[in-house]
Amino acid sequence: MSQKEDFSELQKLLQLKRLETPGPDYFERFVDAFHIYQRREILQKEPWYSKVVEVLFEPWVAGVPRLATVAASVACLLGGVAFFLGPIQSGSVTLANGKVAHPRGILVAASQKEESLQIQPELIDTAAGGETTELRPLYVNGHGAVAYDSRLAF
Amino acid sequence: MSAETALSPDLENGPTDEELVASTLKGDLGAYDELIRRFQGRLYGVIYHLTSNHEDTNDLLMEVFDKAYRSLPTFRGQSSFYTWIYRIAINRSFNFLDKRKRRQGSMSLNELDEDGLPKLDLPDISPQNNPNKSIMLNELQNKLNESMLKLSKEHRTVVTLFDIQGLAHAEIAKIMGCTEGTVRSRLHYAHKQLQKSLGIYLKK
Repeated sequence: MSQKEDFSELQKLLQLKRLETPGPDYFERFVDAFHIYQRREILQKEPWYSKVVEVLFEPWVAGVPRLATVAASVACLLGGVAFFLGPIQSGSVTLANGKVAHPRGILVAASQKEESLQIQPELIDTAAGGETTELRPLYVNGHGAVAYDSRLAF
Repeated sequence: MSAETALSPDLENGPTDEELVASTLKGDLGAYDELIRRFQGRLYGVIYHLTSNHEDTNDLLMEVFDKAYRSLPTFRGQSSFYTWIYRIAINRSFNFLDKRKRRQGSMSLNELDEDGLPKLDLPDISPQNNPNKSIMLNELQNKLNESMLKLSKEHRTVVTLFDIQGLAHAEIAKIMGCTEGTVRSRLHYAHKQLQKSLGIYLKK
């Protein structure tokens, strides 16, 4: 090791910092002070967003990911997969006669009631101009059968 | 072994840290008090040498013990309690330093305790009968704190753990979650930086 890289004098100097510590009184009182702190923390009502902020800014605790971090990541992943693989987008348009046209030209034959979307296998009016076209249900999802009119595709 | 890392008599004869953790998890709050007594001095040192502010250190130390207590059920014993709680203290201090940096752009020396010296009941290290020596010592401490604050938080941590607290490279690597090589390289870089800024105070 060269003369320049002899850090022994520096290390002696750094040991001065060991003296920058409170006296024994501080540490004798610390446990009691901690109990007071803990009681205050328990009684203090945390705002609803504090947990979100905590997870965002401190996703790891002592090198281990929080359960909330893992859960949020899994939820985001599943949400992303559902978004890209989902057969139907949610936004739809109600036609004048009460039928529902889905974006991307998909027409869903449905009643007015959101909770009772159902296929009407007879003729369905399209959003293109009210022409009457016979549509064939292509597949069934959670809401019921879906019919597709290629003229509306874009 | 340094004064800060010296083992307390309880640690040599009493239950191990892991036994105290187990007792705490069974509801023995006195066991956690004992863990606090064992680690308060060392953790105080780590946090203080990172923040250079005694009030912040006091607040952070409370937070660390509170966080550790709440997270104790997730402590699986893969590392020692000692490593685990050190990591919590360092993570908390790093978060605090990041927030302080975002708040103020950069660390202001005004945030240091007055004259770089602690406000709490600290032992007076100034030579009683020699005012000149006392002034020089104060100046030296100021310069020392200033130089430490110029280091990155990672470099400051290795200097604190190695030079001030006397931990081994392997222990520091476990605490910081890096290799021993990284610890050595950070230490070497930090020493060079400190040597550069404190050169005039060092014997040739």
